[in-house]
Amino acid sequence: MADLGDRRPSPDALLELAAKDKRGKLKIFIGAAPGVGKTYAMLAGAQRLKGEGKDVVVGVVETHGRAETSALLAGLEVLPRKTITYRGHALLEFDLDGALARKPQLIIVDELAHTNAPESRHPKRYQDVDELLDAGINVWTALNIQHIESLSDVVATITGIKIRELVPDTVVEEAADVVMVDITPDELIQRLKEGKVYLPDNARRAADNFLQAGNLTALRELALRRTAERVDDQMVDYLRQHAIEGPWPTADRIMVCVGGDDLSERVVRQTARIAGALNATWVAVHAARPAEGALDAEKMKRVDSNLELAARLGGEVSRLAAKDLPTEVLRFAAQENITQIIMGRSAPGFLKRFLGRSLSDEIMHQARGVSVHIITDDSVALTHFRRQRPRVTLGGVAVAPFAVAAAVLAGVAASHFLKLPNLSMIFLAAVLFCAVTYGTWSAVIAAGLSFFAYNFFFIQPLYTFSVASPHELLALFVFLLVAILTGGLAGRVREQSIAALSRVKQVETLFDLSRKLSASVKIDDLMWIVATQAAATAMGQSIVLLEKEGELAIMAGMPPEDNLGTSDWTAARWALNHGEVAGWNSETLPNARFQYHPLKTPHGIAGVVGIRPSEAKLSAEAQRMMEALVDQVSTALERTILADEAADARASAESEKLRSALLSSISHDLRTPLSSIVGSVTTLRSLDKKMSKPVRDDLLANIEEEASRLSRFVSNLLDMTKIEGGAVKLGKEPIDVSDAVAAAIRRARQAWPQREILAKIGANIPPASGDAALLEQLVFNLLDNANKYSPVKGPVSVSVTAERSDIVLRIEDQGPGIPTEDLERVFEKFYRVKGDDGRSPGTGLGLAICRGIANAMGGSIKAESPAHNGLGTRIVARFPSKANQ
Amino acid sequence: MKKPRVLVVDDEPQILRFLRPGLTAGDFDVITAATGAEAVKSAATMAPDVIVLDLGLPDKDGKDVIREIRAWSKVPIIVLSARDRESEKIESLDLGADDYVNKPFGIGELMARIRTNLRNRQQTDSVVNVFRAGGVVVDSLRHVVEKGGKPVHLTPKEFDLLFLLVKHSDRVLTHRQILTTVWGPAHTHDVQYLRVFIGQLRQKIESDPADPMLILTESGIGYRFSSEIELKGN
Repeated sequence: MADLGDRRPSPDALLELAAKDKRGKLKIFIGAAPGVGKTYAMLAGAQRLKGEGKDVVVGVVETHGRAETSALLAGLEVLPRKTITYRGHALLEFDLDGALARKPQLIIVDELAHTNAPESRHPKRYQDVDELLDAGINVWTALNIQHIESLSDVVATITGIKIRELVPDTVVEEAADVVMVDITPDELIQRLKEGKVYLPDNARRAADNFLQAGNLTALRELALRRTAERVDDQMVDYLRQHAIEGPWPTADRIMVCVGGDDLSERVVRQTARIAGALNATWVAVHAARPAEGALDAEKMKRVDSNLELAARLGGEVSRLAAKDLPTEVLRFAAQENITQIIMGRSAPGFLKRFLGRSLSDEIMHQARGVSVHIITDDSVALTHFRRQRPRVTLGGVAVAPFAVAAAVLAGVAASHFLKLPNLSMIFLAAVLFCAVTYGTWSAVIAAGLSFFAYNFFFIQPLYTFSVASPHELLALFVFLLVAILTGGLAGRVREQSIAALSRVKQVETLFDLSRKLSASVKIDDLMWIVATQAAATAMGQSIVLLEKEGELAIMAGMPPEDNLGTSDWTAARWALNHGEVAGWNSETLPNARFQYHPLKTPHGIAGVVGIRPSEAKLSAEAQRMMEALVDQVSTALERTILADEAADARASAESEKLRSALLSSISHDLRTPLSSIVGSVTTLRSLDKKMSKPVRDDLLANIEEEASRLSRFVSNLLDMTKIEGGAVKLGKEPIDVSDAVAAAIRRARQAWPQREILAKIGANIPPASGDAALLEQLVFNLLDNANKYSPVKGPVSVSVTAERSDIVLRIEDQGPGIPTEDLERVFEKFYRVKGDDGRSPGTGLGLAICRGIANAMGGSIKAESPAHNGLGTRIVARFPSKANQ
Repeated sequence: MKKPRVLVVDDEPQILRFLRPGLTAGDFDVITAATGAEAVKSAATMAPDVIVLDLGLPDKDGKDVIREIRAWSKVPIIVLSARDRESEKIESLDLGADDYVNKPFGIGELMARIRTNLRNRQQTDSVVNVFRAGGVVVDSLRHVVEKGGKPVHLTPKEFDLLFLLVKHSDRVLTHRQILTTVWGPAHTHDVQYLRVFIGQLRQKIESDPADPMLILTESGIGYRFSSEIELKGN
């Protein structure tokens, strides 16, 4: 059983295979040097496939004007290049978008290590290739061995030339096929002499050094070895996928300790090569004491770049923080099943040897059951544990002479009652003052100045720099030593407290942010908080974009920003689509103004945050802050989006309920009069003879009343539709409010003769603007309401007054009033306050129409109740006067 | 003979305004109620022969009024409801209402329904085994159906279905009521099933199955057996 289990194909190996299937396949033609015939081999292969009917396209190929290579292009489809203008030069570049749109089965993209023109989407061509592979396009490309990142230092050692155009090892490792194109060095030199190899100008200068038989042999060996290693990897992969018990070595796992020194970079590259040779996985670790990072930004930057290098070379990356570094490093090694540890060590300095062991010594001493490799380089000074040099500030230098001068004055004053040796304390005080306020450098300068001033002003002979008695000379030097030491110590304390303060500030900022984020419910508020915080973190500008229905939209910016350039839109869109950082100072579209960080939520990427620091580069600290910020914002965004969705769902359920209530209300109001009309008519027709005249008359009256009620309801509905449809517009002509009110009152008196209406219309009412007929309708509706909802004997009073720039209309009745909670709702459509008997006489549209008219005239309307003595309703309508508009 | 007493329950005064004189002129004794509570009280104290009930009442749902009255009385209840409110009508019928009239309605239609329901009530009160309606004779004791004097062969289920419809002729039976009575409570939702049986029954007893005169469809609600042909014949 156990055997059977072990012989199953490893799931990881199969998964890797599955992931490879979806992507396009990359085939790299690798050569030891230019001129070995990579392009030729590639094109010859392409012609063959073309002959077999495959869809082959040439994306970019450099024939360097050579006839035999150009001849191979015949019959192949060559994509046009894109022209990019940069600083007045027109550069012909590979057209990535054109290739993606064309989507052939196979595309040929020569010179993998090429650096793209500055305005391109990716700085490097291998990134273009990666995007092609992602799109499922197979790619053939060519690469010289010296451009492989982990080999670059070896190549530099062999040839003496530092190569700038590098391709990460992972690109080569992940390639489906690697083909070695090889000729012997002699042959190559022969071809070179015959002028068959073209070299770019910058390479031609170095060609004499570079293309020598010795160099070429070394490079050829590198290329052959590299290819052989790859073949070995493939063999092992094959064995794993097919569950063949193979003779592969026991799994080694290597850990490399990375610091901020120059040596570390070499150590990382070396580790990558060793790991490759051993077919082992490896992890790069940076260990630091908790407070160390904040002290030395320069060192942290180098640590970051070394770790980035490790990631590019295919290693994992981990950061450790502990007080006891060797123990922590070994604990991590045990936990990760590390079998080999690789570290760098330079020649230890005098003090280090004197004071104790270095980190590498300590690890070697404590390690059990692991191999430890030490890589040395005596050309590099030990910087691992050297304390950072204090910063020199102009203020600190300037203030030191003043502090010493003050000490001299104080010394002169004190010299009358103090003995000479005690005066040195005053100078010491000056040194400490400089240390505490301006740091170590200021203290050192103050100590030096004090030394001379003390000598000059106070030690015999006075006002000379010479010293008379030997014991005073000793005292003077002891003073200098003490001053420098205490000053240095005090200065360091100050710097550490500043560092601690900056940490506290960071933590506070994050805490503050998380508090603000959790308190904000609206997405707009959230976006502003993010913009402010991102700008503060980057110490520059920020912008927040969210995706809405497939479109990116600017939500907030600090300082506010409404326009972005094309490259910024492209970079933001890229970051959104790929979920990776893009834009300024990144690997994708570095020409954009901002650097865009995607906001990832479980529902996908909701948007991007763009930052543009005022400084040339984002500090490691700010980068970590930014990552924390993006994480927190993504969580908050997710929460807000969910809350919005819930609110929308609630609102739509609410509006659905309202809609059906409206429908039932309308149908009831239309049906009841119809029912009584139809009922009365049929009664009259079929039972006419059996009924007395008064009964018949009553039925006829019923029909008449119900028909007019129906007509009123229908015209109300039409009015409402008109107002809602925006058909009511402010008239240009001034209208006389008093006139319209008087007309409405006249109409009301005719309609209800027994109702008493008291009118009080003020003098000098200014004209309003609007529609006189609608205003009259408004007043009549209000009077109608007052009539319906109040006892017949109570009078209804109407007043019109001019208040400041407004015209105010008030209508009061003596009815039971409106409950406080209904004061606003009575203006809603179809809302009716129930009477005592549960019945509601109106249509529920009157007041809604009034509000519609008032709003259309630029005014407002509201209800107040009780109006007086706990009774009555007062409706107050305000309109701006024409003069005020 | 004493005039049949009709209790009209409606809160709209304009409806009562024509119902009261109309029904009075149609030889009914009319009493009215404007609320649900009042309706239940009048049903108990005034002993109406039939109740005309508007479902939209100010104090309670008209369906609750049906439920309360049905707890102790079998008095016929005719529901007034809008045409588009099928579910309201079905629920009322299932709760025990006997019939419905769509609003707006003519007074003649309402009075015809009132009379039908009064007559049905007298029939169901007495024990009858032979029903005659629309030229069809259904004898429940002998399990024999005759149409125009000729025997019609029916399956047992078809017979049960027809017997149920004829017994409640001129009244609406909801799908649910029919299915529960004929097929049992487990089949209350098999409306499609019922439709097939009604189709078969129509083939056997209707003169023109495409234009049924006896078994009428009440769209979305149920079926009604019409005895009008016989009434006209008389």
